[in-house]
Amino acid sequence: MKKIGKATGKAAEKKQNTLLMEIWKAKYIYLLLIPFVIWLIMFSYVPMAGVVLAFKEFNAIDGMFGSPWVGLKHFERIFSTPAAVKSIITTITLSFQRILFEFPAPIILAIITTEMRGKKIKKVFQTVLTFPHFLSWITVSAILVSIFSEAGALNSVLTALGLDTIPFLSDGPLFKAMLFITHNWKEMGWASIIYMATISTIDPGLYEAAEIDGASRLKQIWHVTIPALLPLISMRLIMKVGGVMNAGFSQIFNMRNAVVADSVQILDAYIYDITFRSIPNYGFSTAVGLFKSIINFMLLMLANQLVGKMTGEKMWSFEKRNKKKGVK
Amino acid sequence: MKKLKRKRKKFSKLDIAVSIIMTFLVVVIIIPFWNAIVISFSTNEAYINNRFSLWPSEFTLGNYVAILSRGKGLLTAYGNTIWVSFIGTLGGMVVMTCAAYGFSRRFPGRRVLFMISIFSMYFGGGVVPTYLNLKNLNLLNTFTGVIMLTLVSVSHIILLMKGFEAVPKELEEAAMIDGANDLDIFRIVMIPLNKPTLATITLFTFVSLWNDWYWPMLTLTDNNKLLLQVYVRNIIKAADSMTTGLAASDSAINMSFSMGIQMATILVVIVPVMCIYPFVQKHFVKGMYVGSVKM
Repeated sequence: MKKIGKATGKAAEKKQNTLLMEIWKAKYIYLLLIPFVIWLIMFSYVPMAGVVLAFKEFNAIDGMFGSPWVGLKHFERIFSTPAAVKSIITTITLSFQRILFEFPAPIILAIITTEMRGKKIKKVFQTVLTFPHFLSWITVSAILVSIFSEAGALNSVLTALGLDTIPFLSDGPLFKAMLFITHNWKEMGWASIIYMATISTIDPGLYEAAEIDGASRLKQIWHVTIPALLPLISMRLIMKVGGVMNAGFSQIFNMRNAVVADSVQILDAYIYDITFRSIPNYGFSTAVGLFKSIINFMLLMLANQLVGKMTGEKMWSFEKRNKKKGVK
Repeated sequence: MKKLKRKRKKFSKLDIAVSIIMTFLVVVIIIPFWNAIVISFSTNEAYINNRFSLWPSEFTLGNYVAILSRGKGLLTAYGNTIWVSFIGTLGGMVVMTCAAYGFSRRFPGRRVLFMISIFSMYFGGGVVPTYLNLKNLNLLNTFTGVIMLTLVSVSHIILLMKGFEAVPKELEEAAMIDGANDLDIFRIVMIPLNKPTLATITLFTFVSLWNDWYWPMLTLTDNNKLLLQVYVRNIIKAADSMTTGLAASDSAINMSFSMGIQMATILVVIVPVMCIYPFVQKHFVKGMYVGSVKM
C-alpha cells in the first residue's frame, strides 16, 4: 500500500515538474500573449461580465457591478413591450428575406465571372465589383440615396421619360427591396470571391470529361461547378441561419428615414434607440442585448454542429486542433 | 492553385450573355460613383435643373473650395482619422502578430486560452456594458477608447496563426539547433516568411479603422474629435433635416449643405481608398482565400 502511494506521489510530482518545465520553456510565448490577454480581459470579458446588468436596476452611483439585483424583471418586460416583441419579429423576418434575396447573388456572380473570357478584363471587372465592400455604409448610403431618393437621379430620369416617380426609399415594402438590392450592390462582388476560390480548385479534368461526353457549358456548370460548390453553399447557408438575429444594422441605420424606420426596426436599431435616443434604462437595454446574444450564440453552436455533421469538419472545434498539429 | 483552362475557339452565345451581364453589373457599380463625381463638380443650380447627367453641365470647383474653406471641420476630421487609423493599425498589428505566433506554438494552457478567445468572437456584452466599461476606464471621448474597440480581431489572429503554422517545421528546428529561442524564431523566421499575410491583415485593420463609425459616433462627442465617417454622417443628417424641416426656407443655410457639398465631402473621404484599392486588391483577395479555403 505504502509503496503504491509513494510511487503515485512521485509520479504526480514528476508530472508537476514537467508541467513547470514546459511552462518555463514557453516563457517567451506567454510574454508575447500578454498584450492580447490584457486586451481580451479589459475590452471583451469585462464588458461580457457587464451582462449582469440585465438582472439589475442600474444606478450611476453603484455602477455596473454594484447596482441592486432585480431578477428577471427586465426579461419579463421584453415580452410585455410590444415594440420589443415587434423588433424581434422584424429581425427574424428580415434575416430570412435577406437569405432569400442576398445569399444566392454572390454564388451566381462567381459562376458568371469564372465563365467570362479575357483574363485582364476579368481582373479589372473584379476590382470594380469588389470595391464597394471597402466603403462604409455611411458613404455608400449617402451616394445611393442621391440616386434613389424622391428627387434623386433615377426618379429624374423617370420623369424625363414621362413616367411616374417611384418612392424607392419612402415606401415600406419598396424600401425593404432597396435594402436587398443595395446590399447586393455593395457586398455581392466581395462575397463571390470565396466561391470563385472553390471553383478554381475544381479538377479541370472533370470539365474535359464532361465536354467529351458532349455536355454544353451550361450543362457543365450544372453538373460540375454547382455540385462542387454545394458543400460550401450549405455550410455558408447554415452559418447565415446561425446569425439570424443580426439583420444588417449598419445598412439599416444609415439608410432608414422617418417614414420607413418602423418597418425595419430590427433589434440592434431598437437597442440603439432605447439607449441613446430616450431616457435610457441601462438594465433593460442590456437585457434586450443579452437576449439577442444568447439566441445568436445558441443558433451558431447549433449551426456549427450541423456543419460538423455534414462535412466532417466543424468551422471550429477545440478538441482536434492540437492533434492535427502534432501530426504535422 | 491551378487555373482551369478550357480552350474555346470563338465567342458562343453564352460568352456574349456572360459579357453583357458582367458589363451591366460593372456599369451599375460605377454609375452611382460617377454621378457623385459629376454632382460634386456641378453648381447647385445646374444640379437642381438636371439631377442626372453624365458630365457636369456647369463645371465648378466651388464645392471643393467650400468644404475646405468652411472652418476646419473636415481637415480636423481628416487628421483625426489618419491618426487613429495609423496608431490603431500599428498597435493592432503588434498585439495580433504576437498573439498569433503565441497560439501557433504549443504551451500549457493553449487550448483553454484559445477557447476563451474564440468564445469572445461569438458572444459579447452588448452595447450598454461596452459603453459603461469605456466610461469606467475614463475612455469616453478619447481616441484611445475608439482604437481599443477596433484594435484586435480574433478572426485576424486566427488567419495569422494559420500563416505561422504553415511554415515548415524544419526551418524552426534548424533555427533551434543554431540556438535560437522562441523570440528569435518569431523575429527571424516567422515574420519574414509571412509578409504577404501580414500585409493583408494590416490592410484589413486599416480599412476597418478608416471606416469605423459606430463607437466614434457614440463616444467622440467633442467637435474637434470627430472622425471622418461621423463628420460625413453629420453633414448628411443636417442636410436631410434641412430639406424636411423648417430651415428649408433659409436658402443660405440650405446652400451650405447642397448636394454638391455632400458629394464632394464623400468623395474626399473615399478617394484615398479608391486610389489605393486597385493596387492592393490582390492582397485583400488573398486574405479572403486564406480565410475561406483553409477554414
